[in-house]
Amino acid sequence: MGQRRKVAAVNTHPSQRDIGASTDAPRVHNRKHNICMVSDFFYPNMGGVESHIYQLSQCLIEKGHKVVVVTHAYDKRKGVRYLTNGLKVYYLPLQVMYNQSTATTCFHSLPLLRCVFVREHITVVHAHSSFSAMAHDALFHAKTMGLNTVFTDHSLFGFADVSSVLTNKLLTVSLCDTNHIVCVSYTSKENTVLRAALNPEIVSVIPNAVDPTDFTPDPSQRQDGRITIVVISRLVYRKGIDLLGGIIPELCLKHPDLHFLIGGEGPKRIVLEEVREKYQLHDRVRLLGALEHKDVRGVLVQGHIFLNTSLTEAFCMAIVEGASCGLQVVSTRVGGIPEVLPEDLITLCEPSVRSLCAGLETVIAQHRSGSVPSPSSIHARVRNLYTWRNVAERTEKVYDRVAREEVLPLDRRLRRLRAHCGPVAGSIFAFIAVLDFLFLVLLQWLVPDQVMDIAVDATGPLGLWRREATSKREGYSKQQETQ
Amino acid sequence: MEDEAFTDISGKPITLDCQNHSSFCREFTVSSPKVSIGKVMVYTCAVWLFAYAVFFFTQITAVLSGAILITLVGMMFHIHFVKVDHESLLVIGSLGIQVSSSYASGREITTFIEMSKIKDIIINEAIYMHQIIYYLCVLLKDPSEPNAVSSVVPLFQSSKPRLNCLVKVYKSCQEILSKSQ
Repeated sequence: MGQRRKVAAVNTHPSQRDIGASTDAPRVHNRKHNICMVSDFFYPNMGGVESHIYQLSQCLIEKGHKVVVVTHAYDKRKGVRYLTNGLKVYYLPLQVMYNQSTATTCFHSLPLLRCVFVREHITVVHAHSSFSAMAHDALFHAKTMGLNTVFTDHSLFGFADVSSVLTNKLLTVSLCDTNHIVCVSYTSKENTVLRAALNPEIVSVIPNAVDPTDFTPDPSQRQDGRITIVVISRLVYRKGIDLLGGIIPELCLKHPDLHFLIGGEGPKRIVLEEVREKYQLHDRVRLLGALEHKDVRGVLVQGHIFLNTSLTEAFCMAIVEGASCGLQVVSTRVGGIPEVLPEDLITLCEPSVRSLCAGLETVIAQHRSGSVPSPSSIHARVRNLYTWRNVAERTEKVYDRVAREEVLPLDRRLRRLRAHCGPVAGSIFAFIAVLDFLFLVLLQWLVPDQVMDIAVDATGPLGLWRREATSKREGYSKQQETQ
Repeated sequence: MEDEAFTDISGKPITLDCQNHSSFCREFTVSSPKVSIGKVMVYTCAVWLFAYAVFFFTQITAVLSGAILITLVGMMFHIHFVKVDHESLLVIGSLGIQVSSSYASGREITTFIEMSKIKDIIINEAIYMHQIIYYLCVLLKDPSEPNAVSSVVPLFQSSKPRLNCLVKVYKSCQEILSKSQ
């Protein structure tokens, strides 16, 4: 009994399937995939990767694919849950090691992941984020089981220090026989290709997107007679909070009507608090603490200028959100940021206090002279730049391409591992791949595939969730017609 | 009613017996296979051989008598507390649900849930050991809060039938429940 996990109640109406089969929708021509998104990072944890997976899944479901998400258990959230539109999420009870990433032994996750892949008839495994050990595990097991694999990289890495050298080696091993890799910007693609020694042809660039209806401008929220600079980011070293600590006193001394609004939480909060204390800026620098995603827009619309001080960034979602709310964007010229917005919507600076101050000064001067474009005109331009539907369409093409490719059989996979990853690491991982294969054979003998129950589809071509909703709607419209 | 062959989640055959007492009273019995004599022999022999090996090197006779005692007590414990022979679910419309499981020794545990406490019977998914399985469970409600689920009672816990068997039980249960509500 202790092993049983109490999961969200799912009311499976077997009768609904019969109804669904009789009102069969016209067959769609292109092929539908059964996609399994794997990452350590998913809701209730908040962040860019999490919302990326969620939004992408929702759009793929809309296109008629079947999507399930696999992540590790968060506190008391274990088992199987259903989100909007029947997105099924497996919270597997795997041990969390560091920073919400699971511990990896390469093997212990195989039984549960195999169970998910088999019972959901998965055809494509899509892993997210190179920080996620579970994503790498899933790629490894999926290749052992002969499934097509796609990997999305969400972050940039260095090359010099010991930890990046090690992660890069692991990434090389993990990606050397993955079918396709997706990066969020061209800079990120370049970085990933170099780090993992990949063939650039199997790497696609699909940027992130924002929901434009969530981020609309509202100039009435701005306070007259002052200029507000908004910063929304986690307060960590990577986001350049030390730079921000240098900018605040310099600009506040020059411009008495300048206010800062800073949203986010993190270890570098102390830097900002010290600055505020030292220069007595309590009324002009407001630290809002951690923000929920739904509150971000409310903060953004209060500002005139959006400032991003990141030191490394693969694709900056925050500046798109800022621009979508009609703010002038000032950002550092790092990583993939120069690709994100058209040149006239963003002011790019070098990642130094002096350059950022100069950039902010010019934008402030533009504000005072009134020569900045109106918030609604900025919003109108940004609105159609990055949409999730577009992301889903492009990802779909990647899936179509991947589904046509063959998965390397074990012998060729071993040869490839040894040829691509160096004689030592390659041999070690070839050995692990063999062990993984033997473990899989053992599991297949202990619990054969036929013994596992096939899961009832919530989404996809035979999805009951959608059928239920549409058949009701159809019934309703028919009633209206007869009346 | 036993024409279809059912198995449990590890592939062992089980039998489902449905009895229609009347239109609003049905009984479902899931029976697991009996303990095979071969398995008992293997376990007993393993313990005895091990004990004999220890005795051979240490020359303590207490080991041998201890081994005999362990096998006897172990077997009694197994049939009395572990091995469930059959589990049954008696659904009586407008009255309630009776769940009982009888062990191989004949011991029986019965619980009764009255209809006012039952919210619904559903098939749910759960992670069990290294597998993800379907199971049938009764949702209970607090009479003070009729819309919330207060707790969940899993059914057929030891026999763990597979989905096709669960669906069959589920459908007939829903027939009775829908009539009585």
